[in-house]
Amino acid sequence: MTLAIILVIAAAVALIVILGVALSRSLQLSAGTNLATQIQPIDVEAFRNLIDPAEDDYLRRRLPAAEFRIVRRRRLRAMAAYVHTAGRNAAVLVRMGQAALAAGDVPTVEAARRLVDNALLLRRNAAFALLRIYLALAWPNSGLAAEPVLRGYEKLNGSAMLLGRLQNPATPVRISASL
Amino acid sequence: MFRAHSLLWTYLWVAPNLLLLILGFLIWKLGIARKVPAFFALAVLSAVSELAVYAADVLPTVGPRTFWGINWVGLLIEGVLKFLLFGEIFSQVFGSYRSVARLGRLLIQWVGVALILVATAAAAYAPQNSRFGIVSGFHFLEQAVYLIESGLLVFIFLFSFYFHLVWERRLFGITLGLSISSCVHLASWALIDNGGLPDSKRMILVFLNMATYHVCVLIWFYYLLVPKKPAAKSAVSLPENSLEAWNRELERLVQP
Repeated sequence: MTLAIILVIAAAVALIVILGVALSRSLQLSAGTNLATQIQPIDVEAFRNLIDPAEDDYLRRRLPAAEFRIVRRRRLRAMAAYVHTAGRNAAVLVRMGQAALAAGDVPTVEAARRLVDNALLLRRNAAFALLRIYLALAWPNSGLAAEPVLRGYEKLNGSAMLLGRLQNPATPVRISASL
Repeated sequence: MFRAHSLLWTYLWVAPNLLLLILGFLIWKLGIARKVPAFFALAVLSAVSELAVYAADVLPTVGPRTFWGINWVGLLIEGVLKFLLFGEIFSQVFGSYRSVARLGRLLIQWVGVALILVATAAAAYAPQNSRFGIVSGFHFLEQAVYLIESGLLVFIFLFSFYFHLVWERRLFGITLGLSISSCVHLASWALIDNGGLPDSKRMILVFLNMATYHVCVLIWFYYLLVPKKPAAKSAVSLPENSLEAWNRELERLVQP
């Protein structure tokens, strides 16, 4: 009977997860009219500064070990917030790109496909980067590679801009700020 | 009411499979079958095999061994086709995006291996019935198939959810129907096989399975044959900004 109960619970959880995802998909589709407003521009320069290993080295040299760990944790939390926003923006761009895939003209479809691919890559990198950041929060002295997220974000910005130009030359897209 | 060979029992066994055959014919006629070949094969072959099992059940000339043999063959064919269908769903949802296709393939392989191990452990842990090995073996295999199927479907849904990928409508409907069917079947087969329930309660679960399958066939009808409401075609609205300036600054960032 124990096995039966475990399997019934597993099946119920699986069904709830699947129906939840299916429902959220339907809500996503119905609320997909004003996607661009959901994008939160990111200050890439500030982010670049945060992930710069030279900055970390400088702080490590200048600050006592205990203080360095506190500062480093603060920087890591800020980094996590940036990466989280970048990942969320990537998700919005996936949806925008997929919506644009239905367009008839070849250049727009091409640009949309490239945008979706880049956005997916960024979202994947953001997940890995967040994992590393949270690990680094536990060990602040360890190295951290968030550069792939930055590179992905820059690449994504180019794709989003190209799609924006092709779809509506008068109203371009912005996924980063303060440049 | 919930008795074997009652009118409701006959309807719930035969009607969904006839409907599935009709659906198979319609999607073949409409050219949809070419886009979802594994689903087409699953719809036709599983309907035929279920109707063959039904015929074997009602024909007095068919002995129990032959009946369970037909059941085994049907389950094996259905199992193989379902896993081909998963491949089809996966490649259609993620295959065209290089950035996630490789990761997805890797993850789904590991999830599949883990689910096979769990299903094997569940079968090993289940109470054995040595007198009717062919029957209990069938039930364990069925439970294992539904367990692996449900797990893989949850993975596919969660993976696409994380990446916010919008599915093609038909594919979504196929996967949704399959998911509901496999989860309900997993729960009810777990209780039938391992719950130690009396026959009357087991029969209710059999009816639940058949009714769920009927609903899933109707879901497939809806998503495969009812056309999507035409969406208002509007360009994706994009916020105002100077992209050219952005591009210049980003180039400066990439090449300092």
